[in-house]
Amino acid sequence: MTEHSEKQWIESAAAKPRNIFSEEIVAVIIFIIIALLPIFITGYPIYILPQYMLFGVLAMSLALLWGFVGILSFGQAAFFAVGAYTMGLAMQTNFGVNSGYIGILISPLVGGALAAITGYFLFNAGVKATYFVLVTLALSIMIEQIAVSQSDITGGWNGMYIDRMPLTFGSLGEISLYNDIPVYYAILPVVIAMYAFVRWFATSRFGKILIGIRENEDRMTALGFNISAYKTGAFALSGAIACLAGALYGAHANFVAPSLGGVLFSTEVVVWVAIAGRSSLLAALLGGIIVASLSNYLSTVTPDYWQLVLGIIFILVIVFLKGGVAGAISDLSKHLQSKVKQ
Amino acid sequence: METIISVLVDATLITLVLALAAFGLAIIYGLVGVINMGHGAMLTLGAYFTWATTTAGVPFILAVVLAALGVAIVGLLLEHIIIRHFYDKPFDTLLLTWAFFLIMTEVIKIVFGTDFRNVSNPLPGAIDFGTIKIPAYKGAIAIFSLLLIGATAFVFYKTNLGIKIRALIQNREAASLLGLNISRTYKFVFCIGSGIAGLAGGLISPMLSVDPYIGNVFLIRSFFVVIVGGVGQLFGGTLIGSFFIGGAETIFALFSKQVFAQSIVFLLAIVILRYRPAGILKKS
Amino acid sequence: MSSLLRTEGLTKRFAGLIANEAINFELDTSSIRCVIGPNGAGKTTFISMISGHLQPNEGRIYYKDQDITKLNVVKRARIGIARKFQTPTVFDELTVYDNIELAVLGTDCPYNDRNKNINEVLELVHLTNESDKPVKFLSHGQRQWLEIGLLLAVKAELLLLDEPTAGMTVEETESTARLIKNLTQEFQLSMIIIEHDINFIRDLNAPVTVLHLGRVLMEGSFEQVSANEKVREIYLGHGNS
Repeated sequence: MTEHSEKQWIESAAAKPRNIFSEEIVAVIIFIIIALLPIFITGYPIYILPQYMLFGVLAMSLALLWGFVGILSFGQAAFFAVGAYTMGLAMQTNFGVNSGYIGILISPLVGGALAAITGYFLFNAGVKATYFVLVTLALSIMIEQIAVSQSDITGGWNGMYIDRMPLTFGSLGEISLYNDIPVYYAILPVVIAMYAFVRWFATSRFGKILIGIRENEDRMTALGFNISAYKTGAFALSGAIACLAGALYGAHANFVAPSLGGVLFSTEVVVWVAIAGRSSLLAALLGGIIVASLSNYLSTVTPDYWQLVLGIIFILVIVFLKGGVAGAISDLSKHLQSKVKQ
Repeated sequence: METIISVLVDATLITLVLALAAFGLAIIYGLVGVINMGHGAMLTLGAYFTWATTTAGVPFILAVVLAALGVAIVGLLLEHIIIRHFYDKPFDTLLLTWAFFLIMTEVIKIVFGTDFRNVSNPLPGAIDFGTIKIPAYKGAIAIFSLLLIGATAFVFYKTNLGIKIRALIQNREAASLLGLNISRTYKFVFCIGSGIAGLAGGLISPMLSVDPYIGNVFLIRSFFVVIVGGVGQLFGGTLIGSFFIGGAETIFALFSKQVFAQSIVFLLAIVILRYRPAGILKKS
Repeated sequence: MSSLLRTEGLTKRFAGLIANEAINFELDTSSIRCVIGPNGAGKTTFISMISGHLQPNEGRIYYKDQDITKLNVVKRARIGIARKFQTPTVFDELTVYDNIELAVLGTDCPYNDRNKNINEVLELVHLTNESDKPVKFLSHGQRQWLEIGLLLAVKAELLLLDEPTAGMTVEETESTARLIKNLTQEFQLSMIIIEHDINFIRDLNAPVTVLHLGRVLMEGSFEQVSANEKVREIYLGHGNS
């Protein structure tokens, strides 16, 4: 039997979620900062930030899968794009009520159903984790190809224009979201709500069982847990969240093109999450926001080299820093705590 | 009748070209167990090497050989610096080779630019069989693909080297007791697989416009070829898998757009992967 | 009283090799049965067919008079059959408490009772003081107890224990025997135990089934079995245990 030292424990603990009490506090502080930003900054950053927040939610939907269940999806962007297209199609249809609301309601159902079908089909047969990566990668390509080929519906290569929905309150009137500030404060609460929901979910009975599955599938099976059902549930939830984020993204960006669901974007999400730390939902959310903003900024300065640097960081993280930045921070704090105790 | 024959010929050509494209992946995955997500980038790299050397005036055949060598060296470096430390962690090698793909794609963009490049066809024209015409170059590649797979099979089954490699795959412990150097053999296999991917990329380059992402779709198709044919079934499996993926694509393309046909084939491949995870011929 | 578990003609072949042949076996509620035999006798194969990890080629398994031959691992666990594996299979990265909690989550235990149930189980398997430790810091013996704790926490009625004392000190082994006897008497649990440790089997003082080359060689009390010529022969003949 191998002996584990305290140091190894601290190191390996990085690769998994822990109940860090302080994560909620950090989250509250960060959301307050984001909420106050429009007071200090105006113009393009405030216009674009909601989109990055939604990228953050997309990253979080992956962290839920990768960090908690240990399943890696290379197709998260496919769900994001499906959400955006769903929103676009909803906005083109007259439902008699605010089409945007319909889009917001339908998109998580579409994403959840798509993920549930794929997940049930594969997990039920016990398909290997590596094959699941390939299938989700194929899913991404398929969504892109379908978006390209079904141009009557999707606009093909040219993409689809999506009208920005207003916020209506029945007889009480409505708020137009065409200006940056209203739409900023319309999307931020949804992002916070999604974070809170996923965070709650992760600590619920279901979430704990997912961690058990990540840690030891054989044991969970022998304890009577139907692990394929739980994995399917997790994938469905992850798909629903990605799809909802995509719907809001589409409404904000006013546009969706096939590449939004493509392989490159899908795997970019994997890189964000790996770097930020897949074990922490907040880290993934922030990772999505920060890396996406950086990417956007640096791509205008030095497009090629930035992607290259990102790729190299990705390798370094996999080789040296399994828990990503969040893991490193939590290691450090644990290390300091044990120092203080001594 | 004519359409049936031309569809059959088309399917055969696509099968063999696809088999060539997937062969390097089949070797690396089948023999050393690494899901090489960098396979697409290796194909692309082979194509660009061929473009660069032919543009510099090197004859096509030599250019392709140089491309294969170049990619083999890149594969060797990748193996030596990173992959060899992770053979016992398949999931990590998947991520690492994917990172290799990302980095390689950017390097290609920086070095060669993002414009479409064309490698001129060394065998223009078509061979006329009366009812059907076969593009000369595509036909030559198809034959070469068969020869390459056949020759590799010969090495694998009939030579000392092949016997050693097979012994190693079947039983690592026994092979190391017999004095086989495992890490060197793995390195060799990885290098050969990379080289064949580069060769395939070079040979395919005259058939399409070369851009930094051409390997992308080939990556997924190659994987499905390998999985449908059966991992480790290097020769028959690669041909059967290619026939399934390529043949189905040809047939579906008759009824719908090419890209959509590909999506249908992917869907079919996923269904096969679920019910026959060990390949279409093997019941798990 | 009808039996808890019954097998009829249970047979398992692996690529022509017979691992288990026509095993008829019966176990009463609230009783212990030790299964012994030299390496390769088919003990783990037998347990695996009962837990559902292996499907028999022939024969039937009845649990509480229901035919469960076709049920999978999950369904068998749900009706109360739980297994401890030969190498302790627990959640290494999680704490002892979290381990037991996961098992409790598999029952219909209401939220408010969870903590109480977890602590009761921890008490039973002597791990209360280790509650917050990650499992990988436990001793080998403690890991074995933890895994038994998991089976208790899912409220299993038939426990299949594959070498529960492997890696334990003499004191730990004795304490395990006390624990197991206590569990059967106090909670009416039943157990099938695979063991090599003769002292442990003697301590349990339970009926013994001897497997040899995939067949039941004999059944009887510990004294009967240890006095049997054939049993002595196969053990001495194979030179182990």
